[in-house]
Amino acid sequence: MACGVLPVSSGCATTHSFASAPWATNGVAKMQNGLPVLAQNLCHPDSANGYKVRISIKTALSDKAYEWNENEMYFFQASLAFAMRTYHLTKPYNVNNIIVCNETQRVSFWFVVTSPDNHTELISKAEVEEAVRKSRHRINSAFLLTDKTLEFIDINPTLVPPAVPDTPPWLIVFGVVIGAVFAGIIALLVSAVLQKRKKAKDRMEDEQAEEDIHVNGLENGIGLDGAYNRGFPDDDRFTKL
Amino acid sequence: MSKNAPRDEWDNPTQFVLACVSYAVGLGNVWRFPYLCQMHGGGGFLIPYIIMLVLEGVPLFYMELAVGQKMRLGSIGAWSAISPYLGGRIFSTPRHLLFVCSSQLGGSSYFLGEVSLRSLASIVTSMYLCLYYNVINAWSFWYLFHSFQSVLPWAECPVNSNMSGPIEECERATPTQYFFYRSTLNISGSIEENGGIHTGQAVCLLLAWAIVYLFIVKGVKSTGKVVYFTATFPYVVLIIYLIRGVTLHGAANGLMYMVTPKMEQLANPTTWINAATQIFFSLGLGFGSLIAFASYNQYNNNFEKQAVVVSFINSGTSIFASVVTFSIYGFKATFNYESCLERLRLLLMNTFDIAEGAISLENVNQWIADLNRTQPEQLSSLLDRLQTCDLEAELDTAVEGTGLAFIVYSEAIKNMPVSQLWSVLYFIMLLLLGMGSMLGNVIAVLTPINELKFISRNMSTETLNGLVCLFCLLLGLGFTTRSGNYWFTMFNDYGATFSLLFIVLIEVISVCFIYGIRRFEKDVEDMLGHRPNRYWKIMLAGVSPILLIALFLFYMVKYIQGGTPMYQAWDKELGKSVMLEYPPYAQAFIGLLLVSSVSCIPLVALYTYCRKRTPVSGRRERRISTVST
Repeated sequence: MACGVLPVSSGCATTHSFASAPWATNGVAKMQNGLPVLAQNLCHPDSANGYKVRISIKTALSDKAYEWNENEMYFFQASLAFAMRTYHLTKPYNVNNIIVCNETQRVSFWFVVTSPDNHTELISKAEVEEAVRKSRHRINSAFLLTDKTLEFIDINPTLVPPAVPDTPPWLIVFGVVIGAVFAGIIALLVSAVLQKRKKAKDRMEDEQAEEDIHVNGLENGIGLDGAYNRGFPDDDRFTKL
Repeated sequence: MSKNAPRDEWDNPTQFVLACVSYAVGLGNVWRFPYLCQMHGGGGFLIPYIIMLVLEGVPLFYMELAVGQKMRLGSIGAWSAISPYLGGRIFSTPRHLLFVCSSQLGGSSYFLGEVSLRSLASIVTSMYLCLYYNVINAWSFWYLFHSFQSVLPWAECPVNSNMSGPIEECERATPTQYFFYRSTLNISGSIEENGGIHTGQAVCLLLAWAIVYLFIVKGVKSTGKVVYFTATFPYVVLIIYLIRGVTLHGAANGLMYMVTPKMEQLANPTTWINAATQIFFSLGLGFGSLIAFASYNQYNNNFEKQAVVVSFINSGTSIFASVVTFSIYGFKATFNYESCLERLRLLLMNTFDIAEGAISLENVNQWIADLNRTQPEQLSSLLDRLQTCDLEAELDTAVEGTGLAFIVYSEAIKNMPVSQLWSVLYFIMLLLLGMGSMLGNVIAVLTPINELKFISRNMSTETLNGLVCLFCLLLGLGFTTRSGNYWFTMFNDYGATFSLLFIVLIEVISVCFIYGIRRFEKDVEDMLGHRPNRYWKIMLAGVSPILLIALFLFYMVKYIQGGTPMYQAWDKELGKSVMLEYPPYAQAFIGLLLVSSVSCIPLVALYTYCRKRTPVSGRRERRISTVST
């Protein structure tokens, strides 16, 4: 993009420079000298009011990674301007208020924000931080990145508190299991008690029946005719509890 | 259980075999054997292991089953019912009376319905085990229930109170360690610092004991059905894990590491001692569980074949589990290694502003070398953060015990896809293994108690079992306190190890030398129909006692020479474990643990000797007169 011929106000206030390395494989940035000297002085690495941004597209998107070029940079400046506008609701920030410098192949660069009223005045670090924090999620989403892959050095992301449900889920599972176990125990105990009662009842019946046989046999002097059929117990003899 | 009621029995021999398998195959197969394999030269460890299995494991297992199966016919009434000749045969020699006495020490006997001090030492040891072993099941439940979350709780560090970052203790350690030591145990800094009970752990322990009670409430009838599941399902999970494990990225590294034998380890005597010890404890000898299980057998059950089958299944499971464990090790080591490389790569990229695609995991080290040449000053400023990533070092970290099961494995699981499923499966397997062994231990305690006549007359089996479970639960709550894990480790290391060697040694000596190997042969012939062949006789009468005596002496010397016993404590400032010495009262307690179970044997011998001397009832006099004829 031939920035040099256009006036500053049209939003083309960027300069690209990269640390040239002998092993650089893809030249993503181009040497541009279209920036007015003033802007160059405002934005430099380790600027008092500037922030370093580091972008890791390949880490975030692997196959679907897009190329970082001037258009993406323009988009970034626009999103930062949006963040500033959202923070300072009254001031109309523009893309040319975001000055970027020292872009590297890593895709990292420094930026400073100038005030829309006065192009020489820089917005303070604290205010920029607040603005970025407020719209961080929107900026991340614009680039399909996350807090980890779109880093603003020295602006730590506020950690989202993990969602704490009212009842911890483990208690629910625990409740189900222990309920089932106690139900099983009670069922087994009750069946054991019933079995014992039935056995006791049967034994009492047997004894009673034997007693009857003996008693009747002795009284009559003759044995009972026929055998006592226990298949049909005489339940009326015993009261039910 | 009244005197006239028929003795409970397994429904079929398969239930008995499965019960033994379920009891013997326990957590030790999963977390102790792979550690030993790793320590003693990988595949080469199998040689001493199999040799010890043949020399000591199978014969001793056989002997315990024989004793249990024979002694089921305790009451004289049963003997006489079968044949009056048999009834008289019991008292044919004074030596037999001694056998009965000695079997009161190490084996089982319900002699003539009097109070049987059956294997008091075994009961004490089993009781110790019951107290602490179920705590492991409680932990497994805790982890199992916590697996039903979208993000496993041990996958990430929780955020600290002012939301600025993760909790420091978790930062210094790893999230899995933090979850185990802090969330699960809430461990204190040392054994002296006590604390309150961890309610989550306490309810999990309650659940564990409730399940144990559910399984044993009806005696072997219920246990017999449960063991179908507890014995077989862990194998299903192991097979699933085997398939998952070997298909994981990096599993091959672990498997190579395991299979490459380091034969020089065979020259180290510790290898052989560890092999012998592992076989011994893995089979669960000496607790009385096997004797109790076998006592519910039919008289003519072929326990010889079953002994061989169960022993080999147990060892086979150990080897199988270690294949799974090593593939998981390999996965974890590779994952950590690659994470380390990734961190290095990120560090280099960010410091030197190199393009993203330029450095990959493979050429990180090459880049470091290049940078060292071209920009050495900048590289040296990073030096403290530049850690070397070493795959071998990752694989060398050998872990055993609860650390392996709950920390290493859960760390590997959290990195697998669909980690909740694998976590649930894994902890269900741990639970089944633990429950199976727990059933054996509880039955070992309950069987003799149920046979005490004065108890069985007044209380039903269910009530008695419930009371024992409740008692163990209440005492076990002590292990859920903040320093509970240290007491747990103490019980684990000292409660059941030394005394078992002594108990089994006494058992072997009493069966082979006091009772006599010939009488034993006759009894086996009576039960099986054939005499034990030469292998059994040589092993039982010769090799196994010698091995046991050697092991016993070795450990006695080790304990005496070992100096002050130490334990691993978790230091929350450093975020890692440190070795501390036991305080004097803890050392006294260790001594008490060791002495209490071992001293039962001479005490009971003394008691029996005194009772024999002074006839208490007329029946005893009659018995003695039978002896003399």
